Amino acid sequence: MVFLGGQVLPGNVGRAILGPFADQRAVDALNHSLGVDRPLLVQYGSWIWNFLQGDMGTSYVFRAPVAPFVIDALGNSMKLALVAFVLVVPIGILGGVIAALNVNRPLDRIISLGGLSVTVLPEFVTGIILILIFGVWLRWLPIAAAWPKGAGFFTQLYYLILPSLPLFLVLFGYIARMARSGMIEALDSDYTRTAVLKGLPWRTVIWRHVLRNALLPTITVIATQTGYLIGGLVVIETLFRYQGIGSLIFTAARGKDFPMLEAGILTIGIVYAVATFVADFLYSVLNPRIRLGAEQ
Amino acid sequence: MRKNYRILDLLRRGRTPLENHLIDGLIDGRISRREFVRHGSLLGLSLPLLGRIGMAAGFGAAPSLARAGAPGATIRVGSSVPAAAIDPVTIADAGGLLVMQQVAEFLCVDGPDLVLKPALAESWKPNTDGSVWTFKLRKGVKFHSGGEMKAEDVVASIDRLADPANSSNALSVFNGILKKGASKKVDDYTVEFHLDAPNGNFPYMLSSDNYNAVIIPASYKGDYEKSFDGTGPFKIEKYTPKVGASFVRNDDYWGEKALPDRTEFTFFTDIQPQILALQGGQIDIINQMPVLAGVAVLNDPNVEIISLKSSAHQQLHMHCDEGPTKDARVRRAIALCLDREKLAAGLMKGRAALGNDSPFAAVYPSTDTSVPQRKQDIAQAKQLMEAAGLAQGFKMTLTTERYLEIPEYAQLIQNWVKEIGIELELNILDQSAYYGDAVFGKSNWLDSAMGITDYGHRGVPNVYLAAPLKSDGTWNAAHFKNKDYDQMAASYIAALDLEAQKATAGKIQKLLLEETPVVFGYFYDYLTATAKGVAGVQPTAMSQLFLEKASKG
Repeated sequence: MVFLGGQVLPGNVGRAILGPFADQRAVDALNHSLGVDRPLLVQYGSWIWNFLQGDMGTSYVFRAPVAPFVIDALGNSMKLALVAFVLVVPIGILGGVIAALNVNRPLDRIISLGGLSVTVLPEFVTGIILILIFGVWLRWLPIAAAWPKGAGFFTQLYYLILPSLPLFLVLFGYIARMARSGMIEALDSDYTRTAVLKGLPWRTVIWRHVLRNALLPTITVIATQTGYLIGGLVVIETLFRYQGIGSLIFTAARGKDFPMLEAGILTIGIVYAVATFVADFLYSVLNPRIRLGAEQ
Repeated sequence: MRKNYRILDLLRRGRTPLENHLIDGLIDGRISRREFVRHGSLLGLSLPLLGRIGMAAGFGAAPSLARAGAPGATIRVGSSVPAAAIDPVTIADAGGLLVMQQVAEFLCVDGPDLVLKPALAESWKPNTDGSVWTFKLRKGVKFHSGGEMKAEDVVASIDRLADPANSSNALSVFNGILKKGASKKVDDYTVEFHLDAPNGNFPYMLSSDNYNAVIIPASYKGDYEKSFDGTGPFKIEKYTPKVGASFVRNDDYWGEKALPDRTEFTFFTDIQPQILALQGGQIDIINQMPVLAGVAVLNDPNVEIISLKSSAHQQLHMHCDEGPTKDARVRRAIALCLDREKLAAGLMKGRAALGNDSPFAAVYPSTDTSVPQRKQDIAQAKQLMEAAGLAQGFKMTLTTERYLEIPEYAQLIQNWVKEIGIELELNILDQSAYYGDAVFGKSNWLDSAMGITDYGHRGVPNVYLAAPLKSDGTWNAAHFKNKDYDQMAASYIAALDLEAQKATAGKIQKLLLEETPVVFGYFYDYLTATAKGVAGVQPTAMSQLFLEKASKG
């Protein structure tokens, strides 16, 4: 699909590399040397054959193997996603739990409405505002997320704080809302009532009975956001000059660099599949009924 | 100041008739000092000699260059991401050629004043009709890899670009001018270029104006990113595709050693993060800043703007062979609707010069400034529409690319032509969709009845005169076919003498005003932004950036 989609885009590879003002003879020569003037089926077959042998191909644009680009970009995206998750998951869940325990009180309204408000703001808006505040005015945090060569863990973390904040803001409201509604449902359930009537301490009721059940939908949401965080951050990556897989795919599509595009999309597909699998696994860990159901 | 004829006679001795004709023009006041220096540099006269002639002709000494700053800085530059592998033969984008130009040099450099300055060539001369140009190379120039740069390296570098089998991006520059095999070594330090036809501006084709024409070793095999070999004042330290590049001073450089210890280039996919990084103190220079995107920093007291007058422009083409614009009166009427003063002052925030519907920008010394400037005249435009039988107006589509200020320019045109009854529907496309395959029949650019296309700066108007306007021009989007024009353009391109060029330019300007296949509304300035305290930065309007004299205060 990706391969065919790329073929219907206007222009051709040689023209994309050499530009609109290049001589047609030069464009033809480049297309020939890259092998993109061969029949589509031959090109596709050659790509599949190489891919099955573990060769992701050679970039048309960079004339270098695709694999190191994709692996680097995926690693970077995962680092950014991890920092964003480490920030947003506990805080989002905590916010949801606090809101649920204070349902319809001012604290609940502040968390729910505040979360909703920042969630609807696009990343490029919050990103620019955060850059202006922390990068340009206060100069506390670096604007570009590209850390210097050989930077250690804490330096990398320092460079990742600013780009992870817009992601935090986008996801906070979402996760908090899911956690809140899960909590409210769980608090209202028969098993909670039974636990309370049994005389269990409130803390034990919350930790062992309510939270465990309340977080099931939240985990599903978090898992679905993993794919988004790793594969779809073109805006954040552009704004903070971050070399993630989203920007890699975007530039590959613009430059008609099919080997890079295909490898990038396939990698994101794998990430989505793995994230969904992990979500299912966690779901089953937290909710034994699923496993029991399967066994029966 | 008085003219010193004794010294002038001494300086004229041994000069060719063409060179003496130029000197006479300066003495008689037929050409200005600026025109004299620029055209003299084209003919291969050295800048010190041109300065001495200027002094003797009573013009005083040339202004001295700015004092050098402190050495040892690390200069940090923001630039666009190189769009492809960096290779002198194929490179076509600003980000890539900026990196390449840091390490590799040209035979001569087209400076911000459009004066050609010697670099790897010490001098050059045409034969009597301008069909053979001889370049004398500088001795003792070393490649970073160690070998000395000699004639065979120059011949191989230029031959490589002129060979259609090499996917050369410079092929369109050399098309009809220089073929593979026409560059010949005379001795180790002399190269002759035998042209297809006389060409009075040929040295510009071998200068920084032709950004692929850097000189690299004859042994080059097409793996430039492995070596980044060149002769320049900086050597590569590290290059990471899509991320950035850094360079260190080349202590074996043939010329004055670079002031900075290091330079760092950071690649950005968009201009806004560059502006924020400049304001946040993370970079010192934005190499190229589009005027509309840069409004926020144009008046920032912490930012200095280097503004170069250029010949870059947006061409509004109209089909001359079909539809309502087939009639030249309609094309003239459309051109008369544009308020060029507002375009320059409003749309371009004063960072543009007025266009007069020909490629002869004010920066070119050959431009005939006596040709009256076209101004907005709606009454006359209405008369022309009436005479063409189209007083009721018509509908048509203006197709263009989403790039720089072009969408806003298209909207302004749409509003202005409404006044004479023309309803324009705008079709604004992504750049790749607009250019398509860039050949007739497969390109919105070349096939659209009316369109706007961005053209980058050129030190001489030859490319603009030929490709988009000659009958057989490869970029003739207007489908303009006029034998008189073709002859005039060929005559201009062949002329070696500035006054002959001026005379032909005037005729071309008048013909294009009459025919108006293309509207040239304005020529925009090339802007580079630097943080306050950064000095000695020398950009060119071809997206090059010379940093060997750069310093930080």
